[in-house]
Amino acid sequence: MNALTQPIVAGQPLAKSQHDLHNARSLLDATLRFVRQQSKTTDDPFVISRFGDVHIRIEVAAALLERAQEFLNRHEDDSEISVAIAESHLASAQALSTVSDAEFELTGQRTVLQGSLHDPLRWKLHLIGNFRLNGIRPVKFE
Amino acid sequence: MTASAQTLRTAHVIRADAEAIAVAHKLAARFAVEASVRDRERRLPVAELDEFSASGLWGITVPKEYGGAGVSYVTVAEVIKIISAADSSLGQIPQNHLGVLDILLQTATEEQKRYYFGKVLQGYRFGNAFSESKSKNAGAFETRIRFDTDTAQIDGEKFYCTGALFAHIVPAVAVNEQNQAFIAFIERGNPGLTVIDSWDGFGQRTTASGGVTLNAVKVPLSAVIPAHKAFDEPTADGPISQIIQAAVDTGIAVGALEETKRYARESRPWIDSGQDHGWQDPFSIAAIGELEWRVHGTEAILKKAGQAIDAALLNANEDTVAHASVVVAQAKVLSAEIALLASSKLFELAGTRSVLGKHNLDRHWRNARTHTLHDPARWKYHLIGNYLLNGVKPARHAWN
Repeated sequence: MNALTQPIVAGQPLAKSQHDLHNARSLLDATLRFVRQQSKTTDDPFVISRFGDVHIRIEVAAALLERAQEFLNRHEDDSEISVAIAESHLASAQALSTVSDAEFELTGQRTVLQGSLHDPLRWKLHLIGNFRLNGIRPVKFE
Repeated sequence: MTASAQTLRTAHVIRADAEAIAVAHKLAARFAVEASVRDRERRLPVAELDEFSASGLWGITVPKEYGGAGVSYVTVAEVIKIISAADSSLGQIPQNHLGVLDILLQTATEEQKRYYFGKVLQGYRFGNAFSESKSKNAGAFETRIRFDTDTAQIDGEKFYCTGALFAHIVPAVAVNEQNQAFIAFIERGNPGLTVIDSWDGFGQRTTASGGVTLNAVKVPLSAVIPAHKAFDEPTADGPISQIIQAAVDTGIAVGALEETKRYARESRPWIDSGQDHGWQDPFSIAAIGELEWRVHGTEAILKKAGQAIDAALLNANEDTVAHASVVVAQAKVLSAEIALLASSKLFELAGTRSVLGKHNLDRHWRNARTHTLHDPARWKYHLIGNYLLNGVKPARHAWN
């Protein structure tokens, strides 16, 4: 079970992204709190940079979630919406796994994250690539 | 080779953001046609630059009150990205011109603003003689400016002078005895100014980012601005310089990804795939999917960076400028990452035949590798993390 295998909730195509992004932010906050209590580590250039990396991944996930939401609101072409949703899922999942790794590295512990095997992300990459490379339209999002 | 003064083609004046984007798309389509040939032959884009500045795109940031369109920095980044996707050397050349326009806005007198903004709207191009290859670090200058009653004299040696060879006016950075930086606007005909076409980098080959020597250059005081003030006080000048870098790199990524898809469609199927065509390969398809979302993520952050700069321009203070620096740094990291990734994946997904010299596809990687070196991404992670973890605001200079 991991972030790469979480399902979409039917009727709420961005619920999974929102869920992952929310978890990513909570984990980041917890990790920041932990590290700030260790006076030496807040000066460590590699710890500082690690937070920079995590923050970037979270901001990308937030920006692509917002973009997919705009596509939905604007009633873009269905395939474009499906692809934007898939991209948002991938970005949120990546943000979550990046922050989870950083949490483990910087706190020595890893918060357990729930996942599922339904609707795996590896096929989102395929959906996006098949549309952009081969013009094959994805099935409509739910 | 040294180059003489540039002729001037009168520029169209662009009136709005949407027009700027449309003009950029039209120009990019034309620039794309011979981009590979120019790179291969290192043929400097003289005619293309005339067309570029005559289109009005070099004047889009001139504020409305001075007759320009005063477009948003979301638009500026989009324009540079569009041009860079077609030819990243052309996309890079106005980099310092645009940076100088903001320094003028922040630090020049009213009279100087009217004069130089007017010139830019007419079609004048600024080059740059900022960086020095022999000083201690990127922010240290050995070029000196000495003030007399009516004139100033500048002496020094510059490198990485992108755009100077093609410029009508070369703004040069020099420091006074208190180590404060000034910019002197030097006309191309000035007898003390020599522009040297010595750039032989393996990427961004047609930027002519060579050297400038300043030998007892004399300019009137009206041609000097106190550039240091753009950094003494919080202004968006650093983020503005940086977003243009990020936009060039994003453009390189976009161009490389388009090329990847074109060539991947024609690739042979791998023997173990059991497919008839390369484009049916599930792993190649997924790899394209990976590049796609990363490019879109970078573009989305680039847009956020533009918005953060616009907010800092509207209300410049320690916080808005720090925020703009941080978001632009995110765009910088992501664009460097995706430019290098896309221009390398290109070959993996297009197959061995794509490395043949006749395709010249390596120009995308050479351009990505060269341009992303402008300032190191490793210190951007640090900048972003230090703000998040410790609340430390980014240092204010032209690289943040």
